[in-house]
Amino acid sequence: MRRAPNLPLLRASLLRSPLLATLLLSALLYGLPFALGPYWQQLGFRALQLLTLAIAWNVLAGYCGQVSLGTGAFVGLGAYAFALGGNRLGLAVPLQLATAGIVAAGFAALASVALFRLRGLYFTVGTLALAEALRILMVNLGAFGGASGIVLHAATPAFHQLYWLSLTLAAFAALLAELLLRSPLALAMRAVRDDEDVALQMGVRSFRVKLGALLLSAMLMGLAGGLQALKLGVIEPYGAFGMGWTIDTVAVAIIGGLGTRMGPLLGTLVYVALGEMLRNLPELHAAVAGVFLLLTIRFAPRGLWSLIARKRAHG
Amino acid sequence: MRSNLKLALLLAACSTLSACQPKTEDTPANAAPSEIVIGATIPLSGALAGFGSFQKWGYEHAVAQINAAGGLRIEGTVRKVRLVIRDDRSDANVAAANIDTLVSAEHAVALLGSCTPPLVIAASLAAERNATPIVSGCAPLMSFRAAKQWQWAWDLFFNEPELAEAPFKAWRDLDVASNHRIVILHDNGADGTVVGGQLWPAMAERYGYTVVANLEFPTDTTDFNASVQQAHRAGADILMVDAVTPQMVSIRKQLASAGYTPKVLVMEKGAEPTQFAEAVGPLADGVMVGGYWDASFSHAGAAELAAAYSAETQHTVSQHIADSYTAARVLLDAIGSAGSLDKLKLNTAIAATDSVYPVGPVKFAADHTAALSIAELQWQSGQTRLIWPLSPQSAAFVSPAAALATATAH
Amino acid sequence: MPLPDLNALLQALLTGVLIGSLFALAALGLSLVVGVIRIVNLMHGELVVLGAYAAYALVQLTGLNPLLLAPVAALLVALLGWPIERYILQPVVRHGTEAPLLTTFALSIILQNLLVYCAGGDTRALESGLGARRVGSGALGAPVIYLIGALLALCVCAAVHLLITRTDFGRRIRASAEQPDAAAIVGVAVRSYYARTFMLAAGVAGLGGALLGMVFSFTPSSGVEFLLTGFAVVVLGGVGSVKGTLLGGVALGVVESLGATLFGDGYRLFIGLLAFLVFLTLRPQGLFGRSA
Repeated sequence: MRRAPNLPLLRASLLRSPLLATLLLSALLYGLPFALGPYWQQLGFRALQLLTLAIAWNVLAGYCGQVSLGTGAFVGLGAYAFALGGNRLGLAVPLQLATAGIVAAGFAALASVALFRLRGLYFTVGTLALAEALRILMVNLGAFGGASGIVLHAATPAFHQLYWLSLTLAAFAALLAELLLRSPLALAMRAVRDDEDVALQMGVRSFRVKLGALLLSAMLMGLAGGLQALKLGVIEPYGAFGMGWTIDTVAVAIIGGLGTRMGPLLGTLVYVALGEMLRNLPELHAAVAGVFLLLTIRFAPRGLWSLIARKRAHG
Repeated sequence: MRSNLKLALLLAACSTLSACQPKTEDTPANAAPSEIVIGATIPLSGALAGFGSFQKWGYEHAVAQINAAGGLRIEGTVRKVRLVIRDDRSDANVAAANIDTLVSAEHAVALLGSCTPPLVIAASLAAERNATPIVSGCAPLMSFRAAKQWQWAWDLFFNEPELAEAPFKAWRDLDVASNHRIVILHDNGADGTVVGGQLWPAMAERYGYTVVANLEFPTDTTDFNASVQQAHRAGADILMVDAVTPQMVSIRKQLASAGYTPKVLVMEKGAEPTQFAEAVGPLADGVMVGGYWDASFSHAGAAELAAAYSAETQHTVSQHIADSYTAARVLLDAIGSAGSLDKLKLNTAIAATDSVYPVGPVKFAADHTAALSIAELQWQSGQTRLIWPLSPQSAAFVSPAAALATATAH
Repeated sequence: MPLPDLNALLQALLTGVLIGSLFALAALGLSLVVGVIRIVNLMHGELVVLGAYAAYALVQLTGLNPLLLAPVAALLVALLGWPIERYILQPVVRHGTEAPLLTTFALSIILQNLLVYCAGGDTRALESGLGARRVGSGALGAPVIYLIGALLALCVCAAVHLLITRTDFGRRIRASAEQPDAAAIVGVAVRSYYARTFMLAAGVAGLGGALLGMVFSFTPSSGVEFLLTGFAVVVLGGVGSVKGTLLGGVALGVVESLGATLFGDGYRLFIGLLAFLVFLTLRPQGLFGRSA
């Protein structure tokens, strides 16, 4: 019988079991608010929010090969659905979140009819146009508050509660992505990503595969939007549907490594660290993130994680 | 076996943690008890930068005056005030984030707000979440009241109904001739919809005017061709517009390029700052805009404030120096009278405010608002002149068309 | 909403045609890049805005009329375009079709934020001095600056068209676009011509931006609107054809103008985007392009 835990074996088994690793990591992160104050709790909220978005985008773009620039649409819809669910229907937070996810996924389902007629770069440009069109529509519609938006009636929870909610969502996203990767859908998605026409020939129902990835992605983004509404207490269309969401998500996912498990996590850490260093110069933060993105695409097209994985394989 | 061990560790960790309480306050990195830190979020850039520049001066001037007099006495010791300003870039999300940072990272004990309802409400909500008092001087009261039952947030500004009524009273008292037909053009922001969409039509009816068209546009519109054309065709002598400064500049220019100069032109909110007149030049003359302050007001310190501003900056005075200076003074006076940095005591002291400041008498009602009285100003030869209420200092009404004629004649 | 009368519709039509020509000029660069280099240039909008800012900076520096300085501004943007294509875009083409797209995305982020950092987020406009002058009667007319802008746009489009179809330079560009391998064999320095095409595209975009800056106001975040408008023009008019781009621009201008007259100024871009999405899904080769 061993007296001390065999650390190398423990580490190896953790890495071979991402599900367990996710659970343990989540448990550890759960303890953050007991050691660190509201500033770190807010930072943690933001980081976990980015992680959720990056995981969601990674599913659609990394695993399924559909590069979307419409993150803002789903986040915004989720935020508004959350706010309206609370204000007009009197729902409590869990049901508000459910509404957010459902509305975002519902819109994705509706849009998919037109969007999936577009392939490759056309699809990407189409998502960009769709997100902008939705933003303009929301700005104009007085029924949803127009440019001034909506103030949420319910009180905002404490920072540590928001943090825990964000952590739960990120863990949920990671678990869903992991389950998806282990399902037969994963192979079909990869086939669609590599060559959709060939996949169709081989009997893959590419529309359903893409739709599945899109729905999952949109739902997670909608949930993240809902949490954002909960945190802010007031939402308006420029922030909720803005390009900032797309920029953050794409940067995090690509810098970390598209189509990899660890990519979103690594990308989030780098992005948030960068943000903290350039805290007082937010424009420089975005510009430097852009430079990082440029360099990553040029020199490490599979992201930072691929560099690390390569080093571990050789070193 | 191995997985049981992991599970056991997990449960042990959870049970230990559940016995503790999560932290709700950050430990101050370098607690400097000799300073009083006040935080402010201001639009120093973006669409509202016009207001922001005056707010910055007003806040800084108030703090400088207090510090020049030695500071504020807190629990026996006299301490200087340090003002930390963060630019919210005219973005409500950034304003809210600034408040969080000011409280948690800069350890501000009290806050000063931004300008226009979206930013002030977002910042106030963030302040409420941080249980820190915040005084704002740049958000019309109806939209402020409508957002929430405030506990920590305070606002001193004008009431939208008075602002909406002022032009009509001015026309009545100044006997301005027109065909009593009005076209309204307003943005769909919080006060745009209230003033343009509800109050102006109501006032028009009360005073016997007809609104022949009421057009709405999103706050960031750049192309007003359709609205301008529709307004032109409506055959009204009076055009009333509510928008922020960049849009107001575009509208004024596009009115001119469409060859449309109404007899009476009211441009609310966006035409206040001097940046408007600087951008449109002679096209500003004749534009009416509601105001709550003029250097000629007889309130305590009004004239001195205007003189100090002109001397320090060599710019034209704007009414926004008065409300921002007053908001800062209200906050600082409350700290002084509370004699403590306890946020609850500060809040109570603010509630007890009852003095006369350069902008006028300030006393907060139960809903945390303090109303300023409205006057009507008009741009004439590059300066805002008081035209209503009538007084020995007020100027005569000038029609935009007449102003343009004199300008082109020169 | 009240139905506008015939006169209002005619006015909207005229304004739409004039502004549409400006759209066409601003979109020409995108059409060239997508058609010749086959890269979806997501930083196109920023190049347009950069033209406006360059003109603004030149006006501040020299005090001259922006109409005179617009070509200089265009040149500055063009000079920026060459190294971007040669050293940043070309090397990533081999990494797949998404790599250049995401690289231009990254570049648009960098450019936009550098603009905010250097020039501030405030709204700006270029004063041509002709803003208040108008041609035509009260019922049907147009501001002088619209007419000048449309005329300039037409001239530049015609010039670019002649350049592409009649000159040696243009022939090599077309060769690089249609048959890059064959062109390389025959001795055309394809990569160099790609870079020069991008330079031309950037210059034209910058000129369009400078002109638009005299008609409307702009901020660093105006880029997205110019990008989407550009895409709408390209999709309506067909990729790579100057004539198509011009007609597509005018068509978009008219559609947006009529849409604004019927639904309000706020829906102007929305109508444009709707038209874009409809055409993208139903007829991506545009009104005048050949089927892919």
